[in-house]
Amino acid sequence: MKRLRQDKRGVSNVIVVMLSLVLVVIIVGNVILWSYEMNQLDWERIQERIALTNAEQMIRSTWFPSGCEYTTNSGNRVNRTYTDTWAVNGSYETFKENERESQDSYGLDIEGGFTVDLSTYPREYTESAEIVVRYKTSDTLERWFIKAYEWTWKTYSDVGFNTTAGDSPATEFKYYAVNLTTVWQDYVQTNGTIRMKFCDANPDANQTTVDIDFIGVRLVIEGAKLSLRNDGSVTCHVVAVWILNATWHERYTADLFFNAGISTDYIRADIPLPEGKYITKVVTERGNIALFAKN
Amino acid sequence: MARRLRFIRDRRAITPVLSNLLLTVIAVAAMAIATTATYVITTNLRETMSERVIIEDIWFSSSTGNIRVCLHNVGKVSIHVSQVYVNHTSRFYDSLPVLEISTHAWLNVSCSWATGSLYYVDIVTSRGTHVGGYYEAP
Repeated sequence: MKRLRQDKRGVSNVIVVMLSLVLVVIIVGNVILWSYEMNQLDWERIQERIALTNAEQMIRSTWFPSGCEYTTNSGNRVNRTYTDTWAVNGSYETFKENERESQDSYGLDIEGGFTVDLSTYPREYTESAEIVVRYKTSDTLERWFIKAYEWTWKTYSDVGFNTTAGDSPATEFKYYAVNLTTVWQDYVQTNGTIRMKFCDANPDANQTTVDIDFIGVRLVIEGAKLSLRNDGSVTCHVVAVWILNATWHERYTADLFFNAGISTDYIRADIPLPEGKYITKVVTERGNIALFAKN
Repeated sequence: MARRLRFIRDRRAITPVLSNLLLTVIAVAAMAIATTATYVITTNLRETMSERVIIEDIWFSSSTGNIRVCLHNVGKVSIHVSQVYVNHTSRFYDSLPVLEISTHAWLNVSCSWATGSLYYVDIVTSRGTHVGGYYEAP
């Protein structure tokens, strides 16, 4: 110990080595490790391969089917479940009228709840909503109506619909559609819930059987549907969508993640596509750009 | 007491103490300068390495008659545009604030253009990164 303390050159060497170590740490931390980090970034950017395969105008949202079994205010559910009304495929749910106020008088009144996706289709970019029923009845003597729950007045109504006359049924499947026009917001709650009712006009003497193949709600929009494909090996994060034509270049902020090897449709209700020729571009967070030209 | 008096009267002991002290101060100062210089140099190097900027869009605007360039900072450090060249000639542009990480901004370049002509647009950052390419005016 005494020898070490007297050996001034040894102490000096230790100090020099320690301070040099500090310099080495700074250089390694700032340059070499950071170089590795940026190489990683560039490598990921090279690995990212995104393709924009199509861009088309979208004037209707996807269908939103019933989220739960229909409630029968009058009448009975005879066969199958509400999931059989999710698609037009010949698999249907059957209801039957039952007696109402007086004997020998039969009616059917069913209610269903639907939830539209307002995160994908924001209210401010939605123009209207539509309700469609595909059904057939055992008799064709009475008219059938679609009504929706008016959240302000807390009652079922068809005020403001494009048609309020009802529909004349058939013994073969047919479509009955109503458009909620500009008053659609009165019928859609802020969380996207819409309740609808399907009922006959008045009880009659015939006990009708009603087969429902499809009931759905969709929104009327003026947006765009971009078909994207991730051919790379890393997850893509789309941060911007561009719509370019001869007179205008518009950038829309986006936030879409999709995994490697996945094809997806990116729907934007707030992006109107122009008429004629245009180019659509998507930009990823890593800086890659894919484009689709519509001629 | 006698030893203490001897130490005070011993003038020869002052010189080694002063020389050691002086050497220590010089050594510490030199290392401080070396450390600071290393830090500054490597930090600049790191920032230069971290710059990644892309041109998202170039718009030959017929309404303004200028070229509008949309830049997107996809790197890991904020950037500042210091020069814009069109066909290797320096052009005036609207001063762009510092472009932070993961942000985009439009750059209005004062340059008249003609339909069908080819332009080489080169944007240079304050750290010397170049981004650009050939663009044909529509």
